[in-house]
Amino acid sequence: MDYEQSPDRVVGTAAVGSGGRPKKAPVPVKIIVAGGFGVGKTTTVGAISEISPLTTEAEMTSASVGIDDPGQATMKTTTTIAMDFGVLTIDQTLKLYIFGTPGQSRFAFMWDDLIKGALGALVVVDTNRIDDCYPAVDYFERAGLPFVVGVNTFNGQMSYSLDEVRWALAIREDVPVLSFDARFRGSVRDALLVVLDQALDKAIRQKSSYS
Amino acid sequence: MTYPDPDDPAHPARPSVRPFLQSGPLSAGGYRPAPQDEQPPAPEQSAALRPFVITSGRTNGADPDIGMETQVTVAPGAGPVRLSPEMRAIVGLCFEPVSVAEISARLRLHLGVTRILVGDLRAAGQLDVHVLDNETPDPETIMRVIRGLRAIT
Repeated sequence: MDYEQSPDRVVGTAAVGSGGRPKKAPVPVKIIVAGGFGVGKTTTVGAISEISPLTTEAEMTSASVGIDDPGQATMKTTTTIAMDFGVLTIDQTLKLYIFGTPGQSRFAFMWDDLIKGALGALVVVDTNRIDDCYPAVDYFERAGLPFVVGVNTFNGQMSYSLDEVRWALAIREDVPVLSFDARFRGSVRDALLVVLDQALDKAIRQKSSYS
Repeated sequence: MTYPDPDDPAHPARPSVRPFLQSGPLSAGGYRPAPQDEQPPAPEQSAALRPFVITSGRTNGADPDIGMETQVTVAPGAGPVRLSPEMRAIVGLCFEPVSVAEISARLRLHLGVTRILVGDLRAAGQLDVHVLDNETPDPETIMRVIRGLRAIT
């Protein structure tokens, strides 16, 4: 589409910025980290990100309410939700974004935008409040987005075994359930690698079904 | 990408612009605070500028191509134009490729506002929005991410 470079720039090379001109934009890919409040999404994002997580606020007004019907303007509720995200530069032409998003079903209408083009999702679970993650699991299943359930162990503490978590979630056999510690980069990296494995499986399946 | 959304059986078609603004934001004159017959909605909200004032009241109509991670750069050879302070700030961040989410976070602009303003700046020829050709990542790209992630410690 409009990915062409400025005419004086050699296409196909990792351009080095010079003279204040824009560099060749890297290809962005993203992984979603979903889960209820306080399950460790921000910790997860922060552990893997090369920058300290940034926060973007999305205005969760029911956007059309006040427009379609001014009479109801005073009835609408405005929720501002914060989404934390981090960045990992894979190389000069590829950047991985990790978006942490609230997992409650009342925010589900914003997930459509969020998962567009996403590689996959890591659903973070606190075994003390397993049901917090149900909406996210429901949504990703319906959307056909590859996802992995990651039980955040918080100091190795788990109230239930992974099998019990799998049983409670009633997810398909091919959805991995794993435990990880959101505070440690290596642990988060391994969890994301499982997400990427799922994403790769799906991408290969799709590609072979096209050709 | 289509998928069933049983929670949302009858999603209303959203207008892109409020009707009274369609005659043009400057001529409509609809921004000023309403006369006293309307109470401010909530005390805690009155201190902060309502975010969508910046977008002339548009809360949607953002280009669906412009995602959170979409990369944005200054358009080479963009002519000088008068821009709002928010738009100037956005352009100022885009000399290096930057994502829409980062613009939103750094400028503390709401994400929806940022998407609309980036779309406006793109339409005005000030910014290049690097829309990906293929929406779903291909296996080669995913393999590169896997290799890159494995390499970190």
